This record gives sequence, structure tokens and C-alpha cells, in this order.
Amino acid sequence: MYYPEPISKLIDSFTKLPGIGPKTAVRLAFFVLNMKDDDVLDFAKSLVNAKRELTHCSTCGHITDQDPCAICQDTSRDGSIICVVQDPKDVIAMEKMKEFNGKYHVLHGAISPMDGIGPEDINVPDLISRLKDEEVEELVLATNPNIEGEATAMYISRLVKPSGIKTSRIAHGLPVGGDLEYADEVTLSKALEGRRDL
Amino acid sequence: MNIEQLQLKNYRNYEMLDISFNDRLNVIIGENAQGKTNLMEAIYVLAFSKSHRTPREKELVQWEREYAKIEGRITKRNQTIPLEVMLSAKGKKAKLNRVEQRKLSNYIGALNVVMFAPEHLSLVKGPPQTRRRFIDMELGQIQPTYIYHLGQYQKVLKQRNHLLKQLQRRQIQDKTMLAVLTDQLIQHASLLLERRFVFLDLLRQWTTPVHHSISHGTERLEIRYAPTIEVSESANKEKIESMYTTKFHELQKKEIERGTTLIGPHRDDMTFYVNRKNVQTYGSQGQQRTVALSVKLAEIDLIQSEVGEYPVLLLDDVLSELDDQRQSHLLDTIKGKVQTFVSTTNINGIHHETLREAQLFRVENGTVDT
Repeated sequence: MYYPEPISKLIDSFTKLPGIGPKTAVRLAFFVLNMKDDDVLDFAKSLVNAKRELTHCSTCGHITDQDPCAICQDTSRDGSIICVVQDPKDVIAMEKMKEFNGKYHVLHGAISPMDGIGPEDINVPDLISRLKDEEVEELVLATNPNIEGEATAMYISRLVKPSGIKTSRIAHGLPVGGDLEYADEVTLSKALEGRRDL
Repeated sequence: MNIEQLQLKNYRNYEMLDISFNDRLNVIIGENAQGKTNLMEAIYVLAFSKSHRTPREKELVQWEREYAKIEGRITKRNQTIPLEVMLSAKGKKAKLNRVEQRKLSNYIGALNVVMFAPEHLSLVKGPPQTRRRFIDMELGQIQPTYIYHLGQYQKVLKQRNHLLKQLQRRQIQDKTMLAVLTDQLIQHASLLLERRFVFLDLLRQWTTPVHHSISHGTERLEIRYAPTIEVSESANKEKIESMYTTKFHELQKKEIERGTTLIGPHRDDMTFYVNRKNVQTYGSQGQQRTVALSVKLAEIDLIQSEVGEYPVLLLDDVLSELDDQRQSHLLDTIKGKVQTFVSTTNINGIHHETLREAQLFRVENGTVDT
């Protein structure tokens, strides 16, 4: 036992965070010891409050401190178009863009039989009931461009198709502002695949 | 292309090694278990970032060491390119031109290698995965995006097999997700199959004349590819897709019963025929070896024609396995144009003029003397 118990407990807590290894955890813990008492208290409060006051919006699944969330309540937004994403962080990324004026639906994951995650384990059933209750014309499927995200998008599209609601998938390929020569072969071949008429 | 210099650190039984090579023939001599094959393997890992002998990367790191590092300097189209592969418990890093490459498909292909080791003699009679692996590795070398698509295919396949197991055990009933994964699988399967067909065509072009010549004009080699769907090799991707779609539809019930994917490139095979007879079942040992040799020699020219440079050839302990006539055919083919590494326990077994310009390396217990 090298550390007194309070600090070893703190180190232990820090290691639970993503991207924090044992060494960084020790550094952070000792840093906390030297912080001002008020700062430490604020820090602890923010941690507890973030966890206690934030819930998932009962409509779209986005993180929020009020239910339904600010986006769902906003009547100036176009409710006929819903952007489906995997993670609350994706909503924030889309919002930063300030160009999408529709609403969102957060799945909290992607379908992956390998990990035992089926459609009912992510927010899909809620999405389907939402489509029945609200006047929706288009679903923008913005799940991640990997195997699981792609399969999830295809699954939702199949499920929704009979209802006549339009489904679309976001494009992938070259990053804007990048140089063609620096793109890797796979990205480039995807971009070529998704080329369009001018 | 050539390997000019190779540096190893904590790699298998090499604690530290720094050697420069001849741009023609390099002969590595040593008793058994001294590190000849390890040296050959290191060059292979430098090219493919994985070993041909083991899937467990931990084995490549010297006992009780944190990491192993292989560095090489190659020349390609009059340019010198540094390559580096680092293996540790945290994973591996591959650097091309000192820049880390996250995607394997960006790294593989920088150094083209054709390896011929005793296990390759089983290309003909071994299990089908030996032949599939051969196709995948060679195709990956000349077409980097193939590796990416192969990886994607394997991921979808794994997901689909898990789902089929769940359907088999009746843990789920809904087949919508199965349809989605089948579509996804077909997309990748068709792409792989289409590319394999093109590759097979090239392979035939180069193998047939080589084999004809090794056998002194007495044997005619034919390579047939056996996919799990009935489709012509000239079919385009759309045609292949529709064939897969029909077949998967027919097999759905059976696949759920068995809980696994029953068709696809991961179950295809390749067969070799000499004078219209299947070499795998009816060929002699000698014929099977000749076929394996022809295919390997053809690969050298195939890579040259596709990449524009000859690959590096690694002959690990196989020269002694070939008779004089095949030996000299092999050495004649590579003479003066392909940088070659030969490992052997005894140089007296090799009679050939190319040996005169060879550089000798003696390997003893993890050290190399020139």
C-alpha cells in the first residue's frame, strides 16, 4: 500500500474514465490535492449534477435537463424531417453546423448481433412509434459509416419503407477542403462510387 | 525493388541486428534452429505487417521484452523508402516513410514479397483455406483496396453468423435484420468475387507458359476456380450480385437450421488440372510440387506486370526440396532481375552459376556474419 486510502480511491475513480491510464490517474489525483477547496467542491458538484439532472429526452433520446428536450420543444424547427444518429455527441456535431433545421432521434448504439445488440436494445421501437404519432416526411439516416452503422441504417430503412416515408443516407467520401492526393485508396474509391451527375 | 538494409530489435531470437544486402542473391546459411527462417519471416512481416507462420503476434517478440521492431530500407523506382513495423502488447504500428499508417491497406504493397517455403508445397494438396489465403495475400499486394473489402466482408460474415445462430436457437424470430445483413454480405462478396476472377485470369496467363516450360512441354496446366454459386467468370458485379441473391434466398431455411453462412468467397476453392487430370487427387508428389513452383514463379512476373517492379523473392528451405532440374529452372528465371533470399543448411546442394555472385550470410544463434 503506497498511497493513503483516500487518494488511492481517487486514483481508482480516475482510471474508470476513458483514455486515462494508471499513470495519468496518479497525476490527476495529486493535482486535485493541490487545487483550491472551492474548485474541488465545484468539480465534485458538477460531476454529481451532470449525472443527476441530465436525463434522456423521452421523445428523441438526446441528453437533456428538461423533458422533452429544447430541440423537441422548439416549434420553429421542421418536424417533418428527422435525423437519426447513434450518439448524443452526433446531435451536437450536427447542431454546430447550424444548417439542419429538422429534429433528431438518438439511437444510443448500433445493431450488432455479435455483441447481442438487437433493434429493440437501441432506440428503434421509440422511433417507429414516433413515426406513427408525428407527421414525418423524411428520415435522414446519419449512423456511422461502418459495418454496424450501415446495417442499422439499412434495417431502419426497410422497416420504414412500407409507410411511404422517405429515407435517405448521408454521403461519405472525401473531406471538404482536403487534397485529393492525400486521400487513402479506400476513401477515394468510396468517393468514386458515390459520384454524381453535374 | 530491393531491400537494402534490415534492422531487427528484440525480434524472435535476434536481440539486435543490422545488415545490408546484395541486390541480387543473398544466401543465408546456418544449422537448424539458429534463426534462418526468423530472418526470412522478418522480411515477410516488413512487407505484410503479419507473419506467415503464426497469427499470434506475441510470438514474434523476444521472450520478456516489451516490443519488437523491424526496420528496413527499400529501393523502389530509384527511390529509397524507409519501412518500419513495431509489435508490442498494445498492438502494432506500421510506418511508411516514417509516417504511421492507420489502415493496413495503405501500408501493404509498399514492399512486394513472394515467399516460397516448404508449407507452400501444399498449395495444391492442402486444405482449401491454403488456396484462399494465397489468392487473398497476392491480390492484396497488387490491389490494396482488396484487403479493406476482405476485412469488411469478414466483419459482416461474423455478424451474420451470430444472427443466424440466434435465429437457430429461436432467440429472435424477426428476419428483417437477416435480410439486411444478407444484402450487406452480397455487396462485399460480389466485389471480392469479381476481383478474384480478374486475378485468376492474370494468374492463368502467367502460370501456363511457366509450367509448360518446367515440364519440358509435356504438361498443360489448367487452373479452375470453384465459387459457391454458378456464375461465369466473365460476369460483372451486378450479375454476381443477382446470383448470390437467388442462392441466398433458396438457402435461407437451411442456413437458419445450420446456424451459419453456407455460401460466399470464404468457402470457394481453386483446383489445378494437369493434362485434364485433377492434380490434387490424381497427381504425383512431383507434379504437385511442379504446380506449386509454377504458380510461385508466375507470381513474380504477375507482380512485375501489375506493379511495374519485380518483387523480392524469399526461398525458405525449399531449394533443397527441389530436384536439380527444377532448381535450375527456378534460378534461371530469377537470374539478374529479382533480389532473392535463399536459406539453406548446406550450400553444397545448390549448383548454379548465380551462386558465384551471391553474398553469403552465416547465421548462428541469433547473430549474422557476412
